[in-house]
Amino acid sequence: MTRVQLVDISKRYGPTAAVEHFNADIADGEFVTLLGPSGCGKTTTLRMVAGLVDPSGGVIRFDGQPMNAVPSHKRNIGLAFQSHALFPHLTVARNVAFGLEVKGTPKAETERRVAEMLEMVELGDYANRMPAQLSGGQQQRVALARMLATDPRVLLFDEPLSALDRNLRDSLKYSILELQRRTRKTAIYVTHDQSEAFAISDRIFVMNEGRIEQAGSQLDIYLRPQTEFVANFVGDNNGIPGEVTGLVAPGGEGEPRLVDLVAGGIRMRGLDPGNVRPGDKVVAFVRPENIEVLANGHVADAPNIVRGRVDQIVFEGPTVRLTVDVDGTPLKVISGGLERLTLLDKEQREILLRLQDVTVVPDDPAVAA
Amino acid sequence: MVNRLRFRRASRRGGLTHRHGALLSTYGETQMTHAPAEIAIEYEIAERSPRRWLSTPRARGMLLLAPAILVAVLFSIIPLIYLFQVSLTRESSFFFNAEYTADNYLNVFGRYRSAIIETVYLAGVASILDLVLGYPFAYILIRKIRYREFVRTMMTFPLFGPLYLAFGLFYVFLPTGPLGGVFVLLGVDIAKYLFSQAAVLFSMAVFTFPFMVMNIGAALANVDPLLEEAARTLGAKPWQIFTRVLFPLSWGGIVAGFLMCFGWNLGVFVQPQLLGSPKEQSVISLQMFLKGLVQFNYGLAAALGVLLMVMAFAVTWVSLRFSRGALGA
Amino acid sequence: MASMTVDVSPHAGRGSGPRWFWNALAHGYVWAWMAIFALPFLATLIYSLRTPDGVWTFSYYQYVFGSFRENLLLSFETTLITIVINLLIAIPAAYAIVRYPIPGKSFILSTLNLSLYTPAAVMGVSLVIAYAFLFRIPQTMIGLIGAYVVGTFPLMLVPIIVALRDLPMVFEEAARTLGATRMQTFWRVELPLLGPGISAGILLTFVIIFNEFLVTLFIAGPGLTTAALRVYNLARTAGFQPSTAALATTMQLVSFTVVLLFFHFFGSRYLKGTYLI
Repeated sequence: MTRVQLVDISKRYGPTAAVEHFNADIADGEFVTLLGPSGCGKTTTLRMVAGLVDPSGGVIRFDGQPMNAVPSHKRNIGLAFQSHALFPHLTVARNVAFGLEVKGTPKAETERRVAEMLEMVELGDYANRMPAQLSGGQQQRVALARMLATDPRVLLFDEPLSALDRNLRDSLKYSILELQRRTRKTAIYVTHDQSEAFAISDRIFVMNEGRIEQAGSQLDIYLRPQTEFVANFVGDNNGIPGEVTGLVAPGGEGEPRLVDLVAGGIRMRGLDPGNVRPGDKVVAFVRPENIEVLANGHVADAPNIVRGRVDQIVFEGPTVRLTVDVDGTPLKVISGGLERLTLLDKEQREILLRLQDVTVVPDDPAVAA
Repeated sequence: MVNRLRFRRASRRGGLTHRHGALLSTYGETQMTHAPAEIAIEYEIAERSPRRWLSTPRARGMLLLAPAILVAVLFSIIPLIYLFQVSLTRESSFFFNAEYTADNYLNVFGRYRSAIIETVYLAGVASILDLVLGYPFAYILIRKIRYREFVRTMMTFPLFGPLYLAFGLFYVFLPTGPLGGVFVLLGVDIAKYLFSQAAVLFSMAVFTFPFMVMNIGAALANVDPLLEEAARTLGAKPWQIFTRVLFPLSWGGIVAGFLMCFGWNLGVFVQPQLLGSPKEQSVISLQMFLKGLVQFNYGLAAALGVLLMVMAFAVTWVSLRFSRGALGA
Repeated sequence: MASMTVDVSPHAGRGSGPRWFWNALAHGYVWAWMAIFALPFLATLIYSLRTPDGVWTFSYYQYVFGSFRENLLLSFETTLITIVINLLIAIPAAYAIVRYPIPGKSFILSTLNLSLYTPAAVMGVSLVIAYAFLFRIPQTMIGLIGAYVVGTFPLMLVPIIVALRDLPMVFEEAARTLGATRMQTFWRVELPLLGPGISAGILLTFVIIFNEFLVTLFIAGPGLTTAALRVYNLARTAGFQPSTAALATTMQLVSFTVVLLFFHFFGSRYLKGTYLI
């Protein structure tokens, strides 16, 4: 129903910039997540869309209409807060009815709508309770019902699950996704929890220090990080500084372009970021779970295959976590499956590793100097 | 870590366009890199649209504060400034043909010096009584008592004002009063205390007792009981726990409570009048009333008032330093 | 205050006597003080119920509804007007202080609180002079109300500021994003949630103005004798009369009832940092 465009949005508090040059075009019905550490500007961005913070520059548009001068209560948005923010002096039903009442909706219509909303979040029997009498998960569901009651154009979520315990978080995030899918509303979701972001988003914007680091699907963000920040922030990673030694000729149509490099003394072949030449300084990233422990008998003298000594082994149940020293470069390795059990007696022994899915990120030469 | 730091600096130098370029290639149409010109213009217009002065948050805030400030200026600040001016004129000449003089202040520090001393003495002793008797009370209230709300409710009686307090105590001190028999049994000649300094001090101390308990109690409530237990397990004796743990940690509350009691007691009026001897009745507030409204010596009354005000403000100023903004400051 | 009731008496478990002894002593001390707090009231009450010959009677209370009626009504009237004006002044002021970016906030707050720290007699003398010479409203109701308002609105302001600071912005923001205008947000969300703070302000104003006699003594003329001032005047001129005691008892009973009602509904939380506890 609503396309949300953020055009060169920025927010400055005095000399410090909370958000800079934020650009996003969110399609109607799309579920977008702003992911980043605390203080990265994701909440500020969301609050600017909600009209609770005035941008210092840029334009916010809903379906092409500029919204900058439209006050919050006229934007017709739904905002879910970190704390559920239910009005403590009103019953569950009156909370859900609030948005309709202030708009002067007829009583009968309001009642029908409230019942419908409470039914949708499966809290039909709780209409006359006070918010304090509900559990944390129920409170957050009432908050969802309240925000949907006014049929908002855009759904905004400001870390709505961060105050809940883990089990509730897992079940509620799918409820949120399902509600969004069912109502087909555009949604912007702010979180610092990457598993939440991966579970529910169509598209993820990774933010850092007020800027977008990378935007893309879960797979893009996870498998093809384009900056050091994204590579380090999302998931666990081994970052090894190195240098490009050559470009690999493309294998064929649709095949990924590759580069050869040497990082930490290891010869590797990784994904071509698209803007490096031989001799460029780069950082190679390889995820611990993408490092395979090879059985004996493999030849060490091939790209992406290295020999290292196991420094530490931690058994974590479904996985085994190793720290392997490869010529002075420590590598984190996570091994799953049945073969993990064969590794438990390998402490201080040499093993052979294959680094898979190496991503390459250019290191800024201006700074390296 | 080093790498990350370097990266941050890089992003400030404008590595961003480059990264957005990468985004653009991946997401094509849905990703914009910069604002189209018309949007920028629209925004300019929105920003420059005539914004009335009144709609700025600062102006609206001042507008909401205006009635409060007006009341304070009209009924507090201007009268106090007037009081100062009148204190520099002879008797009631200010109202007819102002004769400016410093005599009132010479008088205040000369003939009325004993009145000042009496006032400070009474206020000081009453406040010390409050401190000595109020500290254990506050400690017990905070640490040992479950019926705290009940105690607090009972503590509101003195706060209805010193008038009823003095009035009621007058009857208590009467030999024919309800406790007359009790005093006889105890062998106390209670009538001796009726118009005495002791009666005045007692009524003053009772009136300000809740202020002391409130301040010390607030400070003690912030002292973790575990600290006392820790001190005890380390071998501290009860008096050492008090001098080394409780006292230093509740110091702010003690000072604030003492000064608050002292400030209230400086303005003492009705207790000396109903329960005191002529000596206690020389306190400044009573003198102001007599000189100003009975003898119409406004200049002298105003000078006494200025003095009392300066003392009260000084005490309040110091006590606010210690009370951690009890009044929302 | 945290409801810590753990026994951590410095004497507990030491060799200086059994625990129950120290406990009894502690409770006894508190009860002794409570007796002292109530004693003047109880003495006044008893005196108002006895004739000089020692006969128990309610007859002195006829004066409360007889010749003191006017004074009592005036007390209720002035108290009520003061409360209304205080509310009208203090709510917007508290709102401005907590929610708006105002330059020199702490200075303004100290200025507003100035009258709170002014001894009553000083306020009385300064107002007598200002009313007579500058405002030309000596011995008038307006003057009286003005003095009452300036003396008590800081006490209305403080609990509301405390309540407003305790009130997270998130309720306001939730209401706004749900489509409520500023006024709707205020009436439907903030005002109900500020209820206890505002009630605390009303309680403080009531208790103080209803029982105020000193400033009144300075500035009220003969026609404006409030009940508290009447008690003072009678105590000064007519000696210690049972009828005066009846009036004083009535005043304290009314005040205490109001306090009890407040404590019953709201507890003492919002009175912290103010005149009462």
